[in-house]
Amino acid sequence: MPKINVMLSSRPKLLSEVIRNLIERQPDMKVAGEVIDPIELILALRITPADVVIITPLKANGDPRICGQLLREHPRLKVLILTPESEMVYVYQSGFDRIRIEKPSEQTILDIIMNTKEQ
Amino acid sequence: MNKTPLRIFIADDNALLLEGLETMLGDQVDFIVIGTAPNGSKALEQIKKLQPEVALIDVGMPNKDGLEVTQILHQEFPQIKVIILGLIDLTDEIMACIEAGASGYVLKEASFEHLVQTIRLVHQNEAFCSPRMAASLFSRIAELTGEAKGQLPSESVKLTVRELDVINLIAEGLSNKEIAKRLFIETQTVKNHIHNILDKLQLHNRFETVHYARERNLLKKK
Repeated sequence: MPKINVMLSSRPKLLSEVIRNLIERQPDMKVAGEVIDPIELILALRITPADVVIITPLKANGDPRICGQLLREHPRLKVLILTPESEMVYVYQSGFDRIRIEKPSEQTILDIIMNTKEQ
Repeated sequence: MNKTPLRIFIADDNALLLEGLETMLGDQVDFIVIGTAPNGSKALEQIKKLQPEVALIDVGMPNKDGLEVTQILHQEFPQIKVIILGLIDLTDEIMACIEAGASGYVLKEASFEHLVQTIRLVHQNEAFCSPRMAASLFSRIAELTGEAKGQLPSESVKLTVRELDVINLIAEGLSNKEIAKRLFIETQTVKNHIHNILDKLQLHNRFETVHYARERNLLKKK
């Protein structure tokens, strides 16, 4: 069964490592790659396909422009934007309204990713 | 090897980070995470009860922040080593944490490996910090030492370009009148500049000013 590919673009590093560890512990998920810079992320996704991307922007901005660009280029992609202190996660998907979840736990993140598989 | 694992407590309002660190630190053979808390007051309550050897405390928690928690723990349970988890590399914040009684400060921008290393070292009464953080701390300690000796926090004093010009001309042995002529300003303005320089540098006369400038390479090379 194919694994769900997750691309990471999160900071600070400790949080990024925690998310990576969470994904790698799941038998049906895989970290497709990790980049920091938003431009690099756009380029990386053109080369390495992913089902989900998790981004933590430096500023607490729930609607970064990068989302629009990524969803235009990859209509099936699910974008998770985590605020820097993880107070909130925003989920973006082409053709769906933005979802906002407060204080996401590990399980919340996994549930959002798993949901991708069924669509 | 039958060593008792090191008992760790983690407090952070970032649920994702808290859960992740609990799992990852728990995976280390020599660590055991005995409790976690999402805010300062719950952290204090739990730490008092559980008595960990090392407490990882997020600096910016609700209710009681990391500094407050550290201060209380340091007063009531000095044997518990506190490591602060900070988001930004601010010398003042790091100093405040150390003054509050923290044994370590780890940036969330640091790697997990760095955190693990810090926990082990802090437990052995040692310290571990990044070269950048060490540089900030050394510079701050030097400032504090200078202040304690009644000297200047020299590097933090900002002289204007014109004040530096005046100092250079004093060093050439020029009088106030000659300096005024050279800089196309009034003699009284030169006097004002000199007054400001002495005031900023907390010096007493022209001789001390030249000596100060020479020691810090502020004089222009001829």
